[in-house]
Amino acid sequence: MQNGVIHLIKTAFSDFKRNKIRTFLTSLGIMIGVLSVVMLLALGLGLKNYLKQQFEDLGTNLLMVIPGSGFGGGGSLGQGFTSLAGSIRFDDRDYRSLKRLSTARYVVPGHIESMTLEAGGTTKTASVQGVSEDFDEVFNLEVISGEFFDSSDVASSAKVCVIAEDLSKDLFGDVESAIGKTVHAKSLRVRVVGVVKNMGDPEQDNSIMVPYTTTYLTLNPDKEFLAFYIGVSNEEMIKESIEEIEEVLLKRYEEDEFEVIEPSKFLDAFSQILNAVNAVLIAIGSISLIVGGIGIMNIMYATVTERTKEVGIRRAIGATEKNILIQFLVESTILSLLGGLAGLSIAGLIVILVSQFFPLEINILAVSLSLGIPCLIGITFGVFPAKKAANLTPIEAIRSK
Amino acid sequence: MIKLQNVCKSYYLGEEEVKAVCNATLEIKAKEYVSILGTSGSGKSTLMYLIGLLEQPTSGKIFLDDQDVSKLSDEELSHIRNRTVGFVFQSFNLINRFTVLENVLLPTHYLKGQLDFDPRKRAEDLLEKFGILERKHFFPNKISGGQQQRVAMVRALIMNPKIILADEPTGNLDSKTGSEILDLMEGLNKDFGVTVVLVTHEKAVARRTRRQIYIKDGLIVDKY
Ligand SMILES: Nc1ncnc2c1ncn2[C@@H]1O[C@H](COP(=O)(O)OP(=O)(O)O)[C@@H](O)[C@H]1O
Ligand SMILES: [Mg+2]
Repeated sequence: MQNGVIHLIKTAFSDFKRNKIRTFLTSLGIMIGVLSVVMLLALGLGLKNYLKQQFEDLGTNLLMVIPGSGFGGGGSLGQGFTSLAGSIRFDDRDYRSLKRLSTARYVVPGHIESMTLEAGGTTKTASVQGVSEDFDEVFNLEVISGEFFDSSDVASSAKVCVIAEDLSKDLFGDVESAIGKTVHAKSLRVRVVGVVKNMGDPEQDNSIMVPYTTTYLTLNPDKEFLAFYIGVSNEEMIKESIEEIEEVLLKRYEEDEFEVIEPSKFLDAFSQILNAVNAVLIAIGSISLIVGGIGIMNIMYATVTERTKEVGIRRAIGATEKNILIQFLVESTILSLLGGLAGLSIAGLIVILVSQFFPLEINILAVSLSLGIPCLIGITFGVFPAKKAANLTPIEAIRSK
Repeated sequence: MIKLQNVCKSYYLGEEEVKAVCNATLEIKAKEYVSILGTSGSGKSTLMYLIGLLEQPTSGKIFLDDQDVSKLSDEELSHIRNRTVGFVFQSFNLINRFTVLENVLLPTHYLKGQLDFDPRKRAEDLLEKFGILERKHFFPNKISGGQQQRVAMVRALIMNPKIILADEPTGNLDSKTGSEILDLMEGLNKDFGVTVVLVTHEKAVARRTRRQIYIKDGLIVDKY
């Protein structure tokens, strides 16, 4: 029996060896199909992991409180703040009541404004964020030069700022030389005391952060905040914290006048969209697999015709109809599987090369699909030619040329 | 061992019925050395395929050791062909993409159940006996016709069959080589007690067997 299996595989390969070009061309269809499906899977998976990483960098215990949009939407980080004209503004009273939250480790107020900054003769339109000293903790910002301003700077409305990596390069050429320099923001002049690493958010990476008290002097005379960033004590308390925040704010505002956003929730939504898009792309990629299967069926019919005599010989020496059926099925399946293996290998190579620039990833699912689907195709499209071979009458087969 | 009772085999070319074998009644006994003699197109091959259970009769009955063969499934018939019958053909019918040894071993892959011998060893012993062992790794198209027919005989013998059916085994060979093949056939019958049925259109060949069956236009006749 085991001997029989080895013989079947040997039979298939001895035929491939005689028809190298034909074998290559036939399995090419499956190869391209598997390659495209695996690449699409890898892309989908890579994108998902990339997004997940981004959100994890942001912190999984971050909540944001923003004025209500009135239609239940939300944005990431600073997005959309400027379009909130007409809605409520938070103030120091809200800040004080939120600071008493039992579930929050950090509560950071945020005033954000876009304007032209000038430093040493260079100008750039950027954001000025009035925040408290815990801003870097809440967003996991890495200080790469100098330091983040502290509570005493906030208490004294110190004229200092922390600058984002990108903006510091734009204004000063590099990170190191930014420290100690002065930045003009309208009538406000602040000294750079620290540089923070890029976060991947274009608005954040093109901003300076100043103590919110400092903005009171010139930029924010009404002492308003556009958002609160809340670092929840631990991940498990997110739900509880949202309820607590709502309870506090509902004392003063209507339900739709503010919104508590859980950024990590966006990940789920993104993932769902990504999955749907990926599924459609993979379905399209699968069409090439079906075309490949038809190619295999075509060649298997030719093979059966070519080997009619051999079928007759095998029947004479004791092969059953089933033996013949299996022989051709094994051949079409191996043919298809060779294509699948080739496609998978090439996809693997591409992923290794590209993953330096983009986080593509191949998982067990992709591997088992790229081997399982060709098997299925080989059997499905091989069964008709194989049936034809099995149903040949031994005599006609042996009498054929 | 094998009995045919009023066996007919017809082929249809469109509407037209071709009676290849008609009303054949005969018996082949164990350890016999018998020939089927007839002109080309007389139905010899068809008769031989019927005896070898490679073909089912249109009418009539075939008995193998008193068992009615028409009741057997494809699986059972194939098993009998595998174990009990060995075919040798005029055009050798070796598979060209397999080596001599692989061709010889082919029937062993189709046995249901356990072989009662070491296939490789038996193959080499037989090849040795037939003087072609040193050709075992050759492909069939790289050896002579006489050698190919010996390989075909070894393939027919590998499963230790009770009966060898040879369809004009010398038809593609020169007379000297053909005669050697016939000597081997005779030896199989004499020395190993294998039943041999030799199909031929040559009287001289048929004369070498102990009994002749004459066939003419599909009918078995007494005199040739
Ligand atoms: N598949 C077939 N279809 C139609 N006629 C056939 C077929 N096989 C054999 N015949 C006919 O049956 C007759 C006997 O053929 P065969 O047994 O091959 O004769 P032999 O072996 O004596 O030359 C011939 O007339 C041949 O043409
Ligand atoms: Mg003939």
